[in-house]
Order: sequence, then C-alpha cells, then structure tokens
Amino acid sequence: MASTDRYDAIVIGSGISGGWAAKELTEKGLRVLMLDRGHMVEHGEDYTYDGKPAYEVPARNIMPDPIKQSDYFIAQHGYVAPSNQAFYNNDRLNPYDYGAGSKFYWIRPGAVGGKSLIWGRWSFRWSPADFEANKREGIGGDWPIRYEDLVPWYSYVEKYIGVSGSREKLPYLPDSEFQPPMPMNIAEKWMKQRLETQFPGRKMINARLSNMTEDKPEQNRTKCQLRNQCGNGCSFGAYFSTQAVTLPAARATGRLTLRSDAVVTNLDYDPATKKVSGVRFVDAKTGQAETVTARLVFLCASTLASTQILMNSRPAGSGKSHFDSSGTLGRYIMDHIFRVGVKGDIPGMEEFIEYGRRPGAIYVPRFRNNGDSEDVGFKRGYGYQGGAYREPSKPVGFGASMKQGMRKYGGWKFQMGAFGECLPYEDNYVALSPDKTDRFGMPLMQFNVTFRDNEMRMMADAREQGEKMLRAAGLTNVTSSVREHVPGDAIHEMGGARMGADPRASVLNQWSQAHDASNLFVTDGAQMASISCVNPSLTFMALTARAVDHAVKEMKAGRV
Amino acid sequence: MMDRRHALAGMVAMFGAGLFAPLARAAGVIPAAGVIDQGAPSLQLFTPDQRALMTALCERILPATDTPGAIEAGVPAYIEKLLADWSVAEDRDPIIAGLAEIDARSWQDYKIPATKASAAQHDALLTLAMNDQIPKGEEFFEAFRQMVIVGYYTSEIGITQEREYLPVPGEYNGAFPYSQVNKVYSA
Repeated sequence: MASTDRYDAIVIGSGISGGWAAKELTEKGLRVLMLDRGHMVEHGEDYTYDGKPAYEVPARNIMPDPIKQSDYFIAQHGYVAPSNQAFYNNDRLNPYDYGAGSKFYWIRPGAVGGKSLIWGRWSFRWSPADFEANKREGIGGDWPIRYEDLVPWYSYVEKYIGVSGSREKLPYLPDSEFQPPMPMNIAEKWMKQRLETQFPGRKMINARLSNMTEDKPEQNRTKCQLRNQCGNGCSFGAYFSTQAVTLPAARATGRLTLRSDAVVTNLDYDPATKKVSGVRFVDAKTGQAETVTARLVFLCASTLASTQILMNSRPAGSGKSHFDSSGTLGRYIMDHIFRVGVKGDIPGMEEFIEYGRRPGAIYVPRFRNNGDSEDVGFKRGYGYQGGAYREPSKPVGFGASMKQGMRKYGGWKFQMGAFGECLPYEDNYVALSPDKTDRFGMPLMQFNVTFRDNEMRMMADAREQGEKMLRAAGLTNVTSSVREHVPGDAIHEMGGARMGADPRASVLNQWSQAHDASNLFVTDGAQMASISCVNPSLTFMALTARAVDHAVKEMKAGRV
Repeated sequence: MMDRRHALAGMVAMFGAGLFAPLARAAGVIPAAGVIDQGAPSLQLFTPDQRALMTALCERILPATDTPGAIEAGVPAYIEKLLADWSVAEDRDPIIAGLAEIDARSWQDYKIPATKASAAQHDALLTLAMNDQIPKGEEFFEAFRQMVIVGYYTSEIGITQEREYLPVPGEYNGAFPYSQVNKVYSA
C-alpha cells in the first residue's frame, strides 16, 4: 500500500506543532501532505491589516458587540479584533457543545498557521522539575522523558526560530539559546533592583519571546520593529509563525502539499497491523469527504482538536476509540489558571518615557516550591508576566481643557498577571456529544474541566504575594484584582492524550507515538502529562522535532 | 485522493446515514460569517434636529483648537455608524433619550431648541448632564463622551495630527527623554 501513496506522511494541523512537523519531515526527504481546517493565509500578502492604523481597519479595530455576540462569543476572550478576526474560529459556524458539562473557553484559530498567528509568543524551556513533579508527588502520570531528553531539541528549535531573552542561570527556568533580550525600561530596572533586594531568591527578568532582536536574513526575516501589532500578522517575520518560519522551509524542499479548508474528522485504523490506515476529512468549501493514506501520520491539530479526532476514530457502533486501550484518552485536561493581576504606581523618573512599543516586557519566574521546604499550602507554582509603562493622562470633563489635558502622559505604572500550574486530574475530561454534530458531521466536544482547591489556593497566594512584592519594591496605590477563572481562558490547554511509559495508563509513548498505532504521532499539547507554569509552545516545537527524528529513523528501519 | 463515492460509503459505515444532512448543508452555501458592515448606517437613528444637536455636542466635547475638532475628524458620522450597526440596541437608548432631555432643558432654560443654542449654552447643558442635574444626564454624558473620545483618537486626524503616529519605531528606548516628546504617541 505504501508504494501507491502519493505522500509519505500526513500532517494534520498547520500550527506551531504541525508547521514544525512539516518542516522536519520534508527536510528529511519525505513527501508530506499537510491538512488544515482553516482557510489559507499567505505570509505578508494576507496580513490585510498589517501596519494599518485604526482608521484603516473596520470599525476602528474595535470588535462590534453584535458580531462579538453572534460569531465570536468565545473568541472574544482571546483578543479577537477586526484586524485579526480572519485568524480566529467563528464560534457560531464551528461550535462545541456550549450547554453541556462545565464552563470552558475553547478559543480556536480558524486559519492556516493555527495559533502561531494569534499566540502571545512567550517562549520558555520547561525545567527539570517540571518533568519530575508528577512522579515525585505521585500526581498524574510520570513523564516518560526528562529535561535532558529535550535539551538538544530545545537548542535546535531555538536557534532556528530566534528567541530573545536574558541568560539567568536559574535551575527552575533554564536558559534558551538566546538572542539579546528586549531591554527593560528605566522603571523596570529600578523595580527589579528593589524587588530582588527585598526578596532574596525572587527575580524579575526580561521577557523571553519569539520576537527576534537580530535579523535572520537566510530566512528572509527581520528583527522586531517595536510596533507591538503582532496580532495583525507581521510581514517582517519578526516572530515565530508557521507562515514566517516553518512553512517557507517546508515549501523550499518541493515536497510539501498544503491543503487548507480540510476538516479532518477521524482516522481509519487497521487492527491487523495496529496502524492508522487512512485520514478522513471533509472539504469545507464543497462538503466533499475524502480519505488519504500515508505511512506516517502526525496529528498536530491542537490539544483539544487532536483529542477530538482521536476520540472520533472508533469502530462502527462503538463509543471507544481505536487509540484508547488505556482508557485515558480525553482525560487529564489542564490549562493555566490566571486572571489574577496586581498593579501600582512607580514614583519618579518622569523625565523619561518609552520610545517604541515592545511585544513583551518582564517576567517574574516561579518562586514557590522550588525545592525549598516551606509549606505554602499548595503544590507547584506560578509566574507573572508584566511590565512598566506610561499612559496618556485621562482628565475628566470635556472641551478644550480636557483635550489639552490628554496631551500629557501620566506617571509610571506597573502591572503584572499570574499564570499558575494546574494539576492533572483524571476527572478533568472531554467527551463527544452523543447526539450533536457540527456541519461536517463531527460530534461536538463537551467539557468537564474545573479548577480545584490547589489551583485556587495558588491564585490566592499569587494575589497576596504580588501585592506584597509591589509594596516592598516601593510602589504606591497598589491594588490587585481577580476575575473568574475559566479553564481554557489562558489558551494554554494541554493533555487529553498524555505521554507515559505504561500503555495501560497513557495514550502516547516517550516519542509522542501512539501506544495503539505505531505510525501515529501526536505532537501538540495533547501529549502533555503536566503543564508547568510557563508557556508551552516552545516545548511543543522541541517535542515535535524530536518525534519526527524518531519517526523517520523508525520508518527507515522498517518498523513503521 | 480517494474518489468521493468510496469516501462517502466509508462515512456511512462509520457514522450511519445521519451524517449526510450536515454534509449536504456544508456542500451548499456557507453563510458569510462575522463580516463587519462598513457601508452607510443601516438605520436612521437621528432626526435631522437630533443629528444637528449630536454633531454640535461632539465638537463641544473635543473642539477645534490648534488641531481640528471632532467634526472635522468625522466623529458624528462615526457615532451614527457605531450606534446603527456596531452596537447593540440598548446602547442607543441613553443617547437618544439624553439628546431629548438636553433639548427639553434648553427650552426650559433658554426658550429655544437645543439646536439653536450657542456653544456656551451647549457647554452649560453638557455640564448639567455631566453632573446628573438633568434626568439620566450622567448616563448620557459618560456614554456620549466615551464615543466622542474613541471616535476622535481613532480617526486619521486624532492619530496623525492630534497625536503622533510611529508606524515602525524600529527601535526601543526605555529611557527616552520626555522633553523630546512633542505629542502623545498613538498606540
């Protein structure tokens, strides 16, 4: 059968993981078909509003409430705006089962490039402790890999994509192969010095971003121009996206076929060979169903979409997936808990201001449970993302005096928000609706995911410690806020097809390879067995490159 | 690719015939989704008098000074479009009601319709609204003021004349001398 296939590998999804899979597979000589449910977005030419000021964007780039309520009622939690709405899912046309289970925001992209076009670009290595905590604490399942397994792959992807950041030599937040960091401003430097003095062991460091501070001419990419309009698409290619980075590399091999508007619904399975025997999809434009085959399948449709596709791959009349012999498929769904913020005023330095708009500023790495013995009342930890800035004054009233008043800047302000690790719970799970399907016949996803005591205690601590640090650093008018914690809201959802050494307790092995199908690799967030408290995308890239390397070796050895 | 008939037969085996209804729908016209209407306002929300008053009040909120004011920046037209097509119906009520209350107060205080009132009288009427000294005045004032401010500072005049637009800063300086800032930078 393999000899008649037009493709050696099928990659499902073109986001951060899918793009990397396509690049690596094609560069290793394989003919690849990449499918994405979204419409095509070409680098540069389809960034319709790149560089456009608000008056050249529909509705002044403020998403009108009627459309928000009818079509983007979930996406509105994920920073959708008229300038970037083409990159987002339409929640009316492509729904999940909103009424069932627990409240969850499944914030999805809707274009080729996936979340690489809408992501926050914060890029961190996970730490050795992140891969050891499940085992040490007896929570969730042990990772079948350790930090050391990923080190060469982190280096590999970092050098290629360009990550800006500062070398800190922190055991709990390993350094990447960095380009120079986005500089701190004068107020942040002032605050860093005071915060670190007041709290020995706690750090305030430069943001770690996939926004480049050095050019990559060999990739036709220019360093960040300090516009802070990343979400519109960046024609400079200054940040990592499929369009700017992995798609050109894959296309350059001449071995990539990219098909947009291809909604994968399920995978065919051959029980005799224990392999995926076909990938089924519907052409979103014509409604036509098709099946394609290849020796290798990389499922990179996103944490939840990959899980959905796996769950929907089942024998006729059965509710159980071909890939769920462990019974863990769809379980251990996690997201970072956030929506705790602290802010305050930084006194002085008003003779200085920022020139240019950074895409990210500072990070306060996790300082809880970093190997110390202090009992803080919860497991694991959180970090803060934030920055110092000056805003135009906001005078009250109206008329010429108000207009004049708005021509000044106020003093320095600082704010930061916490991102906390959520533990893996077996009963945080997704399921397929037994009776509701979308327009492609796909059963709708249902969510049963809640944050628990550990997460709530962690956020209470983040709020308290945040205020404490800002006050101790000398800020005034320090306040904090907490908003509803809704799983999915951080758009860092992970789990559902976790890795593990034991096929009876996990969906994937240490190579992101399905225990139940040797030619199936799932290399997006679905594979994660825990979620750290730092942003995950860089780790998805490293795991994907590593999985491709293994898969191609296995294929060449005749084992796949 | 596998031929369509074969594929559909496989789908029937997989899901049963129920699949075909949604598939058929998908094969038909896919509704245009989330397209932001940029045409003329689809509703006439204002009478000519209300429009004249709204326009005059926009200019009182952000008047022409050494830079153009709200009218030249196109704020009244923005507000009409915003209320007609880019807002929910409830957002219109305080504006329409507020204009009526201002007109009523103009008759009461000046014996003339608000459209005929002077700039100073408009300022006085807006001040009454701001201080909630006319019915639902504060609700009107806050909503109206916000629309004027957003409309002005997102207009071409607001972004490029009242403020300074840096489309491509190209560099970052976190200790730039404030004395060298001529105008507030547009975001």
